[in-house]
Amino acid sequence: MNPHRQVLIFLLSSIGLIVLPHAGHLPIAIIAFFYLLLVWRFIGVWQPQRLPRKWLILLLTVCGIALLYSQHQGLFGRDAGTRLFVVALGLKLMEIKSERDLYLISFLAFIVAASQFLYEQNLLMAAYILMVCCSLLATLVSINSREPEPVAALKTATVIVAQALPMAILLFILFPRVEAPRWMLLNDKQQAKSGLGDSMEPGSITDLGMSDELVFRVKFAGSMPPPAQRYWRGPVLEHTDGKRWTRSANRDFGPFMDKPSYRGMRYPYTILMEPRDKNWVFALDLPAEFAKPLIRNAYYQLITPENPDKRVEYKVSSYPEYNTGFITRTEYENATQLPATPSAKIKQLVGQLQGFDSPPEAFIQRLLKHFKVEDFHYTLTPPLMEQHPIETFLFETRYGFCSHYAAAFVYLMRVANIPARVVTGYQGGEFNKVGNFLEIRQADAHAWAEVWLEHKGWVRFDPTAAIAPERIEKSFNLDELVPGGVIRFAPAGDNALTAYHWLKEAHQLWRHVDYNWQRWVINYNSLNQSKFLSSLGIDNLQAMLYWMIAGIGVITAVLSWVLLHQKRQHTDRVLRVYQRYCQKLAKHGLVRGLAEGERDFAERVKAKLPGQATDIESITDIFIKLRYGRVSAAEDFKQLVQRVKLFKA
Amino acid sequence: MQNAINQLLDSANQIILGKDHKIRLALCCLLAHGHLLIEDIPGVGKTTLAHTLAKLLGLHYQRIQFTSDILPADILGASVFDSKNHEFKFHPGPVFNQVVLADEINRATPKAQSALLEAMEESQVTIEGSTYPLPQPFFVIATQNPSHQIGTFPLPESQLDRFLMRIELGYPDAAAERALLAGESRHRLIESLPVVLPPEVLQDIQLAVTQVYVSDALLDYCQALIAFTRESPEYPCGLSPRGGLALLRAAKAWAFMARRDAVLPEDLQAVLAAVAGHRLRSGNSNSEAIVAPLLQVAIH
Repeated sequence: MNPHRQVLIFLLSSIGLIVLPHAGHLPIAIIAFFYLLLVWRFIGVWQPQRLPRKWLILLLTVCGIALLYSQHQGLFGRDAGTRLFVVALGLKLMEIKSERDLYLISFLAFIVAASQFLYEQNLLMAAYILMVCCSLLATLVSINSREPEPVAALKTATVIVAQALPMAILLFILFPRVEAPRWMLLNDKQQAKSGLGDSMEPGSITDLGMSDELVFRVKFAGSMPPPAQRYWRGPVLEHTDGKRWTRSANRDFGPFMDKPSYRGMRYPYTILMEPRDKNWVFALDLPAEFAKPLIRNAYYQLITPENPDKRVEYKVSSYPEYNTGFITRTEYENATQLPATPSAKIKQLVGQLQGFDSPPEAFIQRLLKHFKVEDFHYTLTPPLMEQHPIETFLFETRYGFCSHYAAAFVYLMRVANIPARVVTGYQGGEFNKVGNFLEIRQADAHAWAEVWLEHKGWVRFDPTAAIAPERIEKSFNLDELVPGGVIRFAPAGDNALTAYHWLKEAHQLWRHVDYNWQRWVINYNSLNQSKFLSSLGIDNLQAMLYWMIAGIGVITAVLSWVLLHQKRQHTDRVLRVYQRYCQKLAKHGLVRGLAEGERDFAERVKAKLPGQATDIESITDIFIKLRYGRVSAAEDFKQLVQRVKLFKA
Repeated sequence: MQNAINQLLDSANQIILGKDHKIRLALCCLLAHGHLLIEDIPGVGKTTLAHTLAKLLGLHYQRIQFTSDILPADILGASVFDSKNHEFKFHPGPVFNQVVLADEINRATPKAQSALLEAMEESQVTIEGSTYPLPQPFFVIATQNPSHQIGTFPLPESQLDRFLMRIELGYPDAAAERALLAGESRHRLIESLPVVLPPEVLQDIQLAVTQVYVSDALLDYCQALIAFTRESPEYPCGLSPRGGLALLRAAKAWAFMARRDAVLPEDLQAVLAAVAGHRLRSGNSNSEAIVAPLLQVAIH
C-alpha cells in the first residue's frame, strides 16, 4: 500500500511536534537520532528510493539499542521508558508498509505525547499536548476517510476532542485517583526545588542569585496583613562559629516552652507549597492554628511530615502580634552562644552604643540607628569576607544584604548578653491582583533577627529594614529594582511604568490561571478528591465507584437501545409490517429477493397462490401507497396492519 | 393520454415485431425528454424504429447518414452568400427537425459527432455568432454499429452520457422473424401510419412525466444503486450525478407509462439497463449484463 502523500506529511509533522517538548529533558543524542530518522522519512515521502532497505533498518535498530544502552538507564523508570518509546517511534517510521503500520505509529505517538506529562504538567504543556493530539487524531481521521483534506480532518478531530472533553472531565473528577507508584516519582526528587538552606554563611557569598522561582502561594481568606508584617517564618539559626550560622544541636525544649498568647488580628489563609526538598512550611509569623499533618516545632516553624516533593495545600491562621512568654534555660543558652570571646573592637562598639549598661530595647534602638546613620549600604553583591566576617562587615566593607545585617545584629546582641537568634524565611511576596493571592519567590528569601525581651517574649527586629526600609515595606520584586546590584528606588518614567504595569497585570493574570490549574487540576489527589466529593455529598468512594459503573452500564444500555431503536425507526413501521407479511410467505417457500420489487413479488406470489390473489394485491397496493405514494392516510397503515395480520399463506 | 400511449405502442408493435420492451423503452426515453442511442448490427430495424416513432408522433423527421467524410456544416447548416440580396443567408441543416435520425453516428469523425451532440445538449445551434433555436420537441435517435466493426469512431464516455438511454434491438425471435418475412414491406406500412400522439399531447405528457412523485424510500433505493456503482470494483467509474438524474427521469416516464403517479423500484429496475449500461462501461458489451450486479442491490 502506498499511503497518501498528504496523510504521510500530516502524520510526520504531527509526530515531529509531539516529540519536540521531549527535547527539554531527553539526552541530545536520542533527540538527534529521532529527528534524523524523521527527516529521512520526510525525504522518503518524495523520494521513496532513498528510504533504508531491510538490512539498513536492522543496522539502525542496533544503533538505537546501543544508544539506549549507552545511556545506562535499563528499561524501567520514567526516563528509560520515554527514551525507549521515542527511539521505537523513530525506527518504526522507517517501515511504513501497510495501513496497520500507520495505526501503530499513531498509537505510539499518542503514548509519547502522554509521557510528556510525566515531566511537565503545566497548563501550557497540557494545551500543547492537546493540540498536537488533535492533529494526530486528524491524521487518523484522514487515514480512515477517503478524502485526506487536512483542514476538514482537523475540524473533525477537533469536534471529536471537544466531544470527548466533558467525559474526560467527568472521569477526572469522579474516577478514583490512583496515587502514582513511587518509582515513577523517583526522578522528581532531583527536580524538587532547592530553597532556603538550613545554614547561612553571609561572608562567603559575593553574588546573591535572584531566582524568580515560585516557592509558595498564599491566599488570604479575609484581609491581608500590611507588607511590613509579611514575614514567612522558616528555620531559625542559633548556633554560630563566627562565620556560619546553623540550627542548634539541642532543639528539644519544646515541651517546656510557654504557650504563645496572641493579640490583634487573626489572618486565616491557605498556603500552596510548590514541590521542594525540605519539609518546611512557610507560615506567616506567627502561625497559631493549623490542621493535622502540620507540626509546629519549638521555633514556631511549621513542619510537615509529608513527602515535600508534591504540591500541597495547607490551611493556617496566624497572628502577627503575639507574646511567646518566658524563655527556657536551653533556649537562653542557645540564644546567647558565641564562638569565642568577642574582639575588643566589637566590645568597644557595643560599649559605645551602651549595650552593657542600658535596657535591651534602648540598645536595640541605638544599634538600628547606628546602621541607619552610619555609612551602611544594602547590596546583593557584597564583597567577600572570609576572616572575621562580622567584624569586616561592621567596620570595613559595610556592604551587605539581609543575612549580613541579621547576623551582625544577632552577634552584637549576644555580645551584650541579650538572647537573640537569626530567623530565615521569606519576606513580602508579590500580590496577584487578578487572583487575589500572594506569590512568594526565591528572590523574596530573607533573614531577620529575633530578640527575647522580658514580658514580650521573642520579638522580631529586622535590621535590613533600618538600612533599606523599601526592601520590607514595598512589595516590589527585588530583581526589578536591582539592575546593577545596588538598589535603586527611583521610579522609572511614566510611560515605561504604564507599560510595565500593564505587562505585570497580564503576567499576573496568567499566573492566576496557573495557580488555579495547579490547585485544582494537578493537585487533585485522592485526598482532595474525597474532600471535593464529600462536599458534593458523596462520602463512600467505593460505593461511588459501584454506582458509577452501574451508571455507565445503564447509560450505555439506554444509549444503545435508543440508537438501535432509532435505526429501527429508520427502517420505519410500514416496512416492518410488510416484512411480517413477507415472513409469512417465506414459510411457504415464497422468499422475496432482496432486490425484488414489491409488485414483481406480488405477481410471482399470485401465480403460486391464486387463492390469496386479492389479499396479496390489496396488501401490496396499500404498502406501495404508503411507501412510495404521494399521499397516504393513517387509515391506510391501520388497514395494512389489519390485512397482514389476517393474511394466511 | 395513456390511451394514446397504448395505441402508439400497439401500432409500433405491428411494424417492428417482437420488440415490445425495446419500443416501450424508446418511447419512455422520448417522454422523459431524452435522446436515444440504438446500438446494433445493421439491418435489425433501427431506422425503421426511428421512422415509425416519428410518423406516429406526427413530427418532422429527417435522417442524417453519418459517413467518415461528413462535416459539421452538413449537419448544422451553413451560411451561404445570396448574390441577389448581397448578404449571407443561413441555410439550416438536417438537424433542424423534430426527430433526427443520426444513422451510424460512429462512422463519422469525432468533430462531426460533437457538432450533433452539442446541438442535442443545448437545444440550439450557434453558427458564426448567431444562435438558432432547434424546433421543439427535439428528439435525436442515433444508431451505432458495434464499434468493433471496421471504420468506426466509438463515442467517448462524455458523449455517451448525453444519451438518456442506449438500447440494443437484437435479432427478432423465430415467430416474429417469420411474420416479418411473410408480411409486406415495412416501408409502405410506415407510410400509411396515422398520427396517434400529436405534438401538443406529447408536450403535455412530457410535462406530466416530470410531476410523477418520487418518495424518500425510492430516493434511498436510487442512492443505494448509485453508491453501489461507485463502490463496487465491478465498475471502473460509478454513475455521475447526471447519470443519477437520468435514471430518475427515465423511471418517472416508465411509471407514467404504467399509469402510476409514483415511481416504484420496479420502474427503476426496468430502465436501469438502458440508462446505466452505457454510462457504466463504454464499448458494446451487453447492457443487461453490465447492470446485473446492480439488480442484486437490496431495495429496503
